[in-house]
Amino acid sequence: MNIFVRELKANLKSLLIWGVIVILFVTIGISKFSAYYNNPEMLAILDDMPPAMLAAFNMQAFNLTTVSGFFGVMFTYYALIVSIAAAMWGSDIISKEERDKTVEFSLTLPVTRSRLVTAKTLAALVNCIGLLLITWGASLVSAQSYQPDAGFYSFLALCMLALFIMQLIFLAVGIFLGCAMKQYKRASSVAVSLLLGTYFLSVVSGLNKNLEFLKYFSPFKYFDAGVLLRESKIDIAFVGLSLAIILVSMVGAYLTYAKRDLYI
Amino acid sequence: MSVIEVNHLTKYYGKARGIIDVSFHVDEGEIFGFIGPNGAGKSTTIRLLLSLIYPTSGSGTIFGKDCIKYGPELRQEIGYLPSEVFYYERMKVIDLLRYSASFYDKDCTQRLQELAELMELELHRRIEDLSYGNKKKVGIVQGLLHQPKLLFLDEPTAGLDPLMQRKFFQLIREENQRGVTVFFSSHILGEVQRLCNRVGIIKEGRIIEIADIRTLQQNNYKKVRVAADDLDAAYFDLPGVTNLERHDGTVRFFYKGDINAVMHKIGEITVSDVTIEEPTLEEIFMHYYE
Amino acid sequence: MSMNIFKQEFKMNLRSVITWSVAVAVLILVFVSLFSSFAQDAELLNEMMAKFPEQLLTAFGLNGVNLATVLGYFGFVFLFAQICLAIQAANYGFSLVSIEEREWTADFLLAKPVGRIQILTSKLLAALSGLTITNIVVWISSFGFINLFRGDRTYEAKPLLLLLLSIVVFQLFFLSVGLVVSLLVKRIRNVTPYSMALGFGMYVLSVFGDMLGESILEKITPFKHFDPNYIIQHGAYDLPLVLISASVIVISLVGSYLLYTRRDIPAVV
Repeated sequence: MNIFVRELKANLKSLLIWGVIVILFVTIGISKFSAYYNNPEMLAILDDMPPAMLAAFNMQAFNLTTVSGFFGVMFTYYALIVSIAAAMWGSDIISKEERDKTVEFSLTLPVTRSRLVTAKTLAALVNCIGLLLITWGASLVSAQSYQPDAGFYSFLALCMLALFIMQLIFLAVGIFLGCAMKQYKRASSVAVSLLLGTYFLSVVSGLNKNLEFLKYFSPFKYFDAGVLLRESKIDIAFVGLSLAIILVSMVGAYLTYAKRDLYI
Repeated sequence: MSVIEVNHLTKYYGKARGIIDVSFHVDEGEIFGFIGPNGAGKSTTIRLLLSLIYPTSGSGTIFGKDCIKYGPELRQEIGYLPSEVFYYERMKVIDLLRYSASFYDKDCTQRLQELAELMELELHRRIEDLSYGNKKKVGIVQGLLHQPKLLFLDEPTAGLDPLMQRKFFQLIREENQRGVTVFFSSHILGEVQRLCNRVGIIKEGRIIEIADIRTLQQNNYKKVRVAADDLDAAYFDLPGVTNLERHDGTVRFFYKGDINAVMHKIGEITVSDVTIEEPTLEEIFMHYYE
Repeated sequence: MSMNIFKQEFKMNLRSVITWSVAVAVLILVFVSLFSSFAQDAELLNEMMAKFPEQLLTAFGLNGVNLATVLGYFGFVFLFAQICLAIQAANYGFSLVSIEEREWTADFLLAKPVGRIQILTSKLLAALSGLTITNIVVWISSFGFINLFRGDRTYEAKPLLLLLLSIVVFQLFFLSVGLVVSLLVKRIRNVTPYSMALGFGMYVLSVFGDMLGESILEKITPFKHFDPNYIIQHGAYDLPLVLISASVIVISLVGSYLLYTRRDIPAVV
């Protein structure tokens, strides 16, 4: 569909910029890793660290000296990057029609509003997948110099799956905000604030046992990299919760956009 | 006294041309029309005079002072009605008008109320909730409430209903009668014809012509239409007749010369209808648009 | 400076200022309240850190930091507050003048009998006032919560004071850089990516700076110029670095004035 293709082209530049950011991040990160690689001293230290400390740095139960361990630590930062991108793409792609005053063109075409939302969501989704693939690729390439074992590859794949689900969550929420918010100009900043808020929650929930319940409110806590690494499985309950959020957001998006008054 | 004087004003946007070597003047108390096709440079000229943009070369003076150097000072007495009107988010009409009034050294409250009543503004609504035409009305009041001596109107009636248009023109005429100079840019030739004394035509960035409206019309052709039975167009083939054609039982032509010759010809036959009119600006200038 | 423009701009910013102030206050509250649970592991922590390789410490901003002390811990968590303050100031900087062109209100404001310098000054002062309000909230909440949650541990007032005062110049950096960049770019449709890039970008530079070109990158980012840990440990500012921030601010502001007075304001097409 032409709306889909048009949006793909319009968002390509953004995808490339984010891709470069990811590649830079991976490169810098991996260069840091060289300090820890197979460093037995590090190992001893990490074993001794108090849990609160590890939680703050998202390092619990990680063996920072192995490639897998290192990428496990990076997982949170990957999550931040790809999620922010997803949230911004989602909210922007809808609100831009009103922001750029193209409403009178795009929304008077012989397509239903639902078709429009679908086309745009798919285009944003393609961007998310693209970014994820770039992340995956960059990680693979940069890990090569450290002779990763087979376990690493499957761990990385599992991480990517988790990242993908997180992208979907924030993409859906972004789309929903773009569709629902009357103050369309604020849609993207609300989306990002929400995201940062949940990130903040994720950090806090790990710091204090009493606050552990907060983890249900933060997608950053749904997929614990440590668990992914050691048990090689994703928590189905959280996958379910994620899907629920995505479903509710998307249904909400379609419903609100269909009824919405579009002004210039 | 020249209120506006433009000397060889040129503006290039990078390589794209804005206006080239534009010169003209506007006298005090005039209503000067500035017409031209889309993209000709009308807005560019106004924006240069308001120092919203800066010239590549050339100069402009208003009230005798350089329009850029003395910009802020000059704008105390200038009112600007732009073609598109946007205002700050969530601002109410009355807030915007008061904010606008706060920039001027005089007390505008009375004039503000008068104008708001005249244009039938809903003072306590949010501007963003208004229709395009109503926003324009706010723009009109905003541009006039400080009783400026010079007005820049850029496509001012686009979006106004005919009644409002009439009120608006009435308003402008009244201001003009009090000595306000008006610079009126439009490509609705009918408006310009109704209001202006002199007219400047700009096309592709250059001034094509500057002339008095009356002179233009007088020096121009009269349009004649005669309806009669069995009328042959050749009957009116006189010297000074052009564009002679027969259409639907009516003979039409343009005539320049002594009108009596035409009157004689008409008087000699039995006609059902005769119309003799001055051409509209549109007809005079249509060829400038091509 | 035009009083009416100042008042109008200040009013328009107020909502955002309140939101940010509350957000940062909450952030400080949450982190400071967790201090006691942290301090319980105080001894362990210090032993631990003594054994760490320096690179790890620097990577997590812990070099020389004593997390068991009130200020040591606060200095550490203050970083998060700085990130928020950076993004807030960057937001204001980027949208200061670009909003007129984005909302097409430029034709209104710039056709008024005010010069560009006056307009810019009024807007800047309004933004600064808003930021100052946030700063005051940060100061009050920092003092308040620290005293509330410190138990019976004491702390030195001077380093804390210096740290808290530093946010003024810190925010000025982001405000002025955001402003000058917005004047260099042709058109800004959405401010959020820009301010996030500047704010987070500077943060990332500070964390990873020691990896790449060493000191060079560190010298650029105000997160290093106003490194909370440095200020807490030394009870003073790293003057040469602060001067870098100050010069960037001056250059950006001067540049902004020059650019703005010469700028062509495009018409609504």
